Order: sequence, then C-alpha cells, then structure tokens
Amino acid sequence: MNITTLLFILLSVMAVGSAVMMITSKSPVHSVLWLIVVFFAISGHYILLNAQFLAIVNIIVYAGAIMVLFLFVVMLMNLNAETEPVKNYRLQLVGVLSGGALLLIIITALNKMDVEMPIELKTGDTGLIKVLGLNLFKNYVLPFEISSVLFLSAMIGAVVIGKKD
Amino acid sequence: MNAIILTAVFGVILMFIGVFAKSKTLPRWVAIGGLSLTLLTAVQEMVAGNSFFRFNHHEMLRFENFNLLFIVIALAVTLIFFLLSGSEIEKAGPHVGEYFALIFFVLCGVSLVATFNTLLMLFIGVEIMSIPLYILTGSDKRNLKSNEAALKYFLMGAFSTGIMLMGITFLYGGNSNASFFIDKINIGVGTMPVLMAFGVLFIMVSLSFKVSAAPFHFWTPDVYDGAPTVFTSFMSTVVKAAGFFAFIRLFEHSFGSVQDQWQRLVLFITIATLLVGNITAVFQQSVKRMLAYSSIAQAGFMMLAVFALNNKAKEGILLYAAAYSLATIGIFGVLTKMNDFTIDGFNGLARKQPLMAFCATVFLLSLTGVPLTAGFQSKFFMLMAAVENGHHIWLVIVAVLFAAVSAYYYFRVIQAMYFKAPHQEEETNELSSSFKLMLGIIAGLVILIGIYPELILGWLYH
Repeated sequence: MNITTLLFILLSVMAVGSAVMMITSKSPVHSVLWLIVVFFAISGHYILLNAQFLAIVNIIVYAGAIMVLFLFVVMLMNLNAETEPVKNYRLQLVGVLSGGALLLIIITALNKMDVEMPIELKTGDTGLIKVLGLNLFKNYVLPFEISSVLFLSAMIGAVVIGKKD
Repeated sequence: MNAIILTAVFGVILMFIGVFAKSKTLPRWVAIGGLSLTLLTAVQEMVAGNSFFRFNHHEMLRFENFNLLFIVIALAVTLIFFLLSGSEIEKAGPHVGEYFALIFFVLCGVSLVATFNTLLMLFIGVEIMSIPLYILTGSDKRNLKSNEAALKYFLMGAFSTGIMLMGITFLYGGNSNASFFIDKINIGVGTMPVLMAFGVLFIMVSLSFKVSAAPFHFWTPDVYDGAPTVFTSFMSTVVKAAGFFAFIRLFEHSFGSVQDQWQRLVLFITIATLLVGNITAVFQQSVKRMLAYSSIAQAGFMMLAVFALNNKAKEGILLYAAAYSLATIGIFGVLTKMNDFTIDGFNGLARKQPLMAFCATVFLLSLTGVPLTAGFQSKFFMLMAAVENGHHIWLVIVAVLFAAVSAYYYFRVIQAMYFKAPHQEEETNELSSSFKLMLGIIAGLVILIGIYPELILGWLYH
C-alpha cells in the first residue's frame, strides 16, 4: 500500500464520516462546521487528482466564503434543536427505504463495474492554473462567457426580490 | 447564434432601462422591438444558413434546421405573448424592466438548450432557463402564495439540477471516450455500461422534473397556481417545450442506439403523466389550477415524442410546441382579464364578451385536440410517431382515452361560458381593442396551423 492509497482512504473516510455527522448533528451550527470538514477532505482529493488550483479554490470559495455566509444565516435565524419541526415518522421511513434502495442498487452495480483509467491524472501539469486558464479562454470560452448571463440573472433576481418597493 | 447573442444583449439593455428610465411603458416597447429584431435575424439564420456572429465555439453548439426552427418558434410565441399580455407584465410589480430582462435571459437559455452539442452547454442552458423563472414566480412579493411557489420551485429545482449534474458526471465517467459531446457519448448498439445507465436514469429524472412529468410533477400545480398569471403562461409554454426539445435531442443523439433499454421507463413516465394530469384536472374548481394540471396532461402527450424518437416525433414536437404554446398563451391571456378564476367565474362570458369567449373556445378546443385546430394536428403527429415506433402500440390507445377524458374538463369551461347565465351583473373588465385583435390573431393562427401544418413543418425541409 503506497502513500497515495493510504491518503485516499484517509480522506474518503474523513469525507464520508463528516458528511454523516453533518446530517445527524442536532445543532445547525455543528452541521455547518462538519460540512466545512467535508470540503477540506474533498480538496484533499482534488490534490490527489493533480488539480491543485481546484483544491485551493474549493477551500477559498466553499469552505471560506459560502460556509461563513451559511453560518451567518443560521445564527441570524437563531435556529436550534428545540425549534426544529417534528418530522413525520412515516415520511422518514419512506425516505430511508427509497434512499436505501438506491444505495443498494448503486453498490451492486459498482461491484459489477470494471475499473479503467481513461485519463492520466497523477502526472503532468493538468491542474496548474496556467493550463486551466488557457483551456478556459480557448476551448471553453463560449460556456465561460455564456455563464455570465446566468450570474446576471441571479443578480437581477437578488435586486428584484430583495429591494424594498 | 444570432438568437443567443441578441437575447442576451437585449436582456442587458432592458436591465438598464429598468434602472434609468422612469416610464413604465418604455420597457414593453423596447422588448417588443428587440424581440422582433431577434426573431428576424433568427429567421434569416434559418433561411440563409449563416449567422451574423461568427467565432470558434469548438463545436459546442450545433445549428441545424431542426434546432433553428425551434428557436424561431420559441421567439415567435414569446413575441405573441408580449403583444398579448405585455400590459399585464407591467401590472405584475414595480420592476417592469427587470421582468422583461429576465424573460430575455430565459430565451437565451432556450436558444442554448435548442442548440447544445455538449452536456456542459445543456447544463448551462437549463440553468439559464430556470433561474430567472424562480424569480418571476416570486415577483408578486406581497402575495404569500407567490412566495411559497417561488421557494418550492427554487428548492426542488436546485435539487433536480443536482441530480442532473450527478447524471452528467456518471455519463462522463461511464463512456469510454471520456467526453461531454453528445455524439461521442453514444456507445452504439449493445448493453450500456453500469455507470452510463445511472447517468441516463439521473438525467431522465431531472429532465422529467423540468418538464413536469409524473412522478416528478408535484411542484407544478402550486407553482403555476402561485405565480402571477402572466408568468405562468410563459413558463408553462415556451420553457416547457424547450425542456422537451432538450430531452429529445439528448436522448436521440446520445442514447438513441440503446433505446430498448430505457424505453420502458419512458413508457411508465408517459402513462403516469397522462393519468395524473388528466384525472386530477377533472376535480379542479379553479380554472388556473385546472390549466396547471392540464399542462401536466399535455406533457404526457409530449412524452410520446421522447418515447418514439423518430422523424415523426421530431416534426411532432415542433408542431406541439407551437400549437400548445399558442393555445395556452391565449387561454391564460383570457384568464388575466377575469376577476374570478373559478369555473363559475366564466358563467355567461359569451353574453358579456362574445369575441373573447369565442377565442377561448378555440383555444380550449385546440388543447382538447378537436380536428381543424392545431392541437389536433400535433396530437395526431405524436400518436403517429408512437405507432411508427412499433413498440407498445397499446400506449396509443391509452393516450387517446386520456385525450377523451381531457375533453370533459376543457368543455366544462366552454359550457360555463355559453350555457350558463351570469349570476349577477358584475363589472366586467374593459378590453382594449389591441388585446381583442391579438386574441383574434392567435385564434386564427391556431386554426390556420390546424388546417395547414406545413406552414411550420415546411421550414424543416426547405
């Protein structure tokens, strides 16, 4: 077992474990903190896949900006375990059953799958910011520019919904 | 390409007009002018085959007659929508310019969804199409129902987007080319790899959600009912048709060769959609809610095109997009002029507003699929496509039976308009002559397409 495999297993356990903790935590603040741990673990995975830039951005944007925003919202709304509405027991059961069925099918299917590695990820400079930038502004310039329409409409939405009439 | 760029540009222009111009009617006229211009350039692109804007997009979009014709239909229908209900958009809230800008951005998304050649563009297109809709749904801020609808739509829409992304990931990992291009995903005849099967399943779920096919339709009645009526009429027509267009294009190019492996699932979704939409619509008392369920029922008919996936289906979905959109925009236009949205509110309309009642009757007949209307032709094409496909012919019989059920609830409105006396002499809304003219033109178009569908389909093979 080499160091990459070991790291992979460690990070995976960390990601899945904190994801489970995030869902099961009673306090929303704890959930948010666990989610930050998940993002860190996933960033680790990105580094293993030789995507350094993505790893850094993931930490800055998700673990940094978005989760802090989440924390603010949670604190402003003053959510805690007591005010949480009681969930329908039967609905929970149905959810567990259907989610479990999906999980079961995915696991059985994954067992049948033959693993192949179509792209070489461990070497080369694929994840470097220079390569990424060249790709983004050459091959992927259309989706890059077009997504500005998406952000613009989200901004207009924020104004339309948030502004006082 | 013309449509994608011009809609985005006019969206930005309208956004600035919304900020700086004080006039309330200016955005509408700029929007109508801009959309007419965009429509003209789109027609030019379709006829001449080249765009004003040219740059290397690395084959991420594909411009064929079929795709361009759909863009033209979507733009034309929206133009008619602006002309008919533009004044209602002005009444929807204080941010008139922004509403028009958002509709233009939706059209940009529609054009992308019509021309995508990679899953990346599909995803961006679907998102550009949906996000403005969440905002338009919640634009009536003082109304609790509108708020609820927007929140519901946003949360469930975000969830379905997540499912779509997961499906795209599975497809990317599952195809041996490791490609996002829809043609390269196609594995040819054979058994799908496991990961790809998951991808197909997940994308099918999320696209079914976007087109409100059962069992992923639960958001539809609340959202269509809660949103301001003008915006309901837009999102239940152009956007829904675009969703189906994306559905058909993706499944034809990427999974067409393995159709026998997912056709059963589509069969189930089709029947469930027809069943849920038609049966629930029967019990509705509010016409707006009835139209929401009827739009689910119509989605069931459009699912037949995904089920069949042949040339007839492709012609049929274009025809259906035009026919269903025209009739629905017309009937929602009538609905915006009513004070009372219940079926009783339509009592005796024929006596008070004979022209409006007549046009509404034409629209409802078209939605039912009575011969000589566009609805008949489009339903006919759908059924023919399913017959030509050859598998599960009994689905055609089921669809016809449900079309008969739909006659019940559409005819109830017609009956109320013509055969029931108005209960009291209430003030009726005064109709402007331009509204009456537009209503007449739409009714004329519905009948014209019904008699002569080549009017639209002829462009496909010019």
